[in-house]
Amino acid sequence: MTSVPMSGSAITPALAVDDLTLAIGGVSVVDAVGFSIAPGEVMALVGESGCGKSLTAQAMLRLLPRQVKQAAGRVLLGGEDITALPERRMRRLRGRRISMIFQEPQAALDPLSPVGAQVREASGLARAASRDAVRRMLAEVGIADPERRIDQYPFELSGGMCQRVMIASALIGGPAVLVADEPTTALDVTIQAQILDLLRRLAAERGTAILLITHDMGVVADIAERVAVMYAGRIAEIGTTEAVFAAPRHPYTSLLLAAIPRLSDAPKSRLAVIEGSVPTPPEYGVGCRFAGRCPLADARCVAEQPPLRAMEGGHLSACWHAERVA
Amino acid sequence: MTPVLAVENLVVHFPARHGPPVRAVDEVSFAIAAHETLGLVGESGCGKSTVSNAVVGLVVPTGGSVRVAGVEIAGADGRTLREMRAKAQMVFQDPATSLNPRMTVGAAIGEPLLVRGIARGAALRERVASLLTEVGLRPEHATRYPHQFSGGQRQRIVIARALALRPALLVCDEPVSALDVSVRAQILNLLVELQASHAMACLFVSHDLAVVRHVCDRVAVMYLGHLAELAPRDALYTTPRHPYTRALLAAVPEPDPALQRAKLRVPLQGEIPSPAAPPPGCVFHTRCPIAVERCRREVPEWRCLGETMVACHRAGET
Repeated sequence: MTSVPMSGSAITPALAVDDLTLAIGGVSVVDAVGFSIAPGEVMALVGESGCGKSLTAQAMLRLLPRQVKQAAGRVLLGGEDITALPERRMRRLRGRRISMIFQEPQAALDPLSPVGAQVREASGLARAASRDAVRRMLAEVGIADPERRIDQYPFELSGGMCQRVMIASALIGGPAVLVADEPTTALDVTIQAQILDLLRRLAAERGTAILLITHDMGVVADIAERVAVMYAGRIAEIGTTEAVFAAPRHPYTSLLLAAIPRLSDAPKSRLAVIEGSVPTPPEYGVGCRFAGRCPLADARCVAEQPPLRAMEGGHLSACWHAERVA
Repeated sequence: MTPVLAVENLVVHFPARHGPPVRAVDEVSFAIAAHETLGLVGESGCGKSTVSNAVVGLVVPTGGSVRVAGVEIAGADGRTLREMRAKAQMVFQDPATSLNPRMTVGAAIGEPLLVRGIARGAALRERVASLLTEVGLRPEHATRYPHQFSGGQRQRIVIARALALRPALLVCDEPVSALDVSVRAQILNLLVELQASHAMACLFVSHDLAVVRHVCDRVAVMYLGHLAELAPRDALYTTPRHPYTRALLAAVPEPDPALQRAKLRVPLQGEIPSPAAPPPGCVFHTRCPIAVERCRREVPEWRCLGETMVACHRAGET
């Protein structure tokens, strides 16, 4: 497991991914992705549409769409390789050792079932998780008046409240890992702040490792201890959030950060622009996939794929010119 | 000088099948001058999109007045509205659904010119080509269909179509919310340039406070159908007067870990009440950290505090 960038601690990571490669009909859409997350740690996987971040998330629970195949790599849950587990055993792990929450809470919940019943169902122990346990779980995720809410249907709850219900059903089985795919993207900014606070608290208090998928650099800066930046199916850069934001070592990260309007920059100033658009899988060349849009690209970038290598400040960058990134 | 857009005491209520009407917009007033961009921010359901729809005549106001270049459009007849629409154009959030998939890009951009008999034939093709160039596309794109373009390019096409009639007012409703970060920057740069070069008045509706700060000269904050605060950009962002503005600003996650983690966290509690049954008194009092008894009873008046307009009993004391 030499290529897995470790979180720096000696304890077994809650989740480790090594050389994960996902393919659609022979074209690899996620290529040799590796990372690990320690218990209680929040790691973000950030990137634009189509970069492969959501497929990576789905691969953690082996919930990939049928046409996507895992072509290589391993997913280790608490040190155990789950890649080859039969589906029957995998089903027992979901909800108990690893859970997932999604972007649209109202769409992810069953409209015909009271929310309390859905949380109980997710515990996997139909009756053992009593009404009391469900109520406690709802209270823990910050739902006021859980005794009343427990019998209500999703349409009676706001978006933020539905997201809390989804988090409750994800956590009632006591998983060590929570995969959160854009959990606040559909929510308003004041509700987003509440949900991010909740996730932060759950990681700290329950020791849940959280893999957060997002496109929002603000959310990353707010909650993630480490961040992996993905571009066109590969990890461009991975490191602590402080290091990656303060001194990005991949031109893509650097440009992406400069393209965001901030509350602190000069109004109406020209934002940095990344020319062109993200290549589609058939357009991937043999070299660096960002080469076509990169201001630093040269012949080597087009011809040879840059490996992830260690930089000063402890983070890894997949760029031949990492030292020159401003 | 007459402002390009003057909205006074705008009220929009939508009747509900059961129960009281939804009070989407209540007593909203503002004006926008030529060359100026006014941002309208707020969370979902606050009424910001209803305001922008009322401004271009897509929603009929229940009360109040909307004047575009001095002409009243609230309750106006079809002919007045038709004339107004040449002056006020709109850009929506999702460029994919704003374009007819069976119409070439050239036909879509040229249609307003053709319909109004402004240009046809070679002159029309020339106008379309110059509009495409202006928004960063190429003249030969005119013969292609929307599905052949990326999301960012489609939004450029929508902008070109909106500019075709040289409107005095451009209304943008969440124009970059559906776009990825790198593409969003391109479109924001384009909008800032075009607004300046065309000397348009612009109403920019968005939920994203950082984006609004980037493109706007003045900013209005809406909550539950009411204006909470309206101020010049720098005043709003450096000395917000309304507790809701403060809460919104505090809730925006800044893409800077050092700044973000040093922030004092006072997340707003609770949820937005239903606009069908808004709370009495100040509509924000149910979530307000500084509400007092008076806020529960009395609707705060829309008043002037320095260069800021604000609706809060306690503004100025805190």
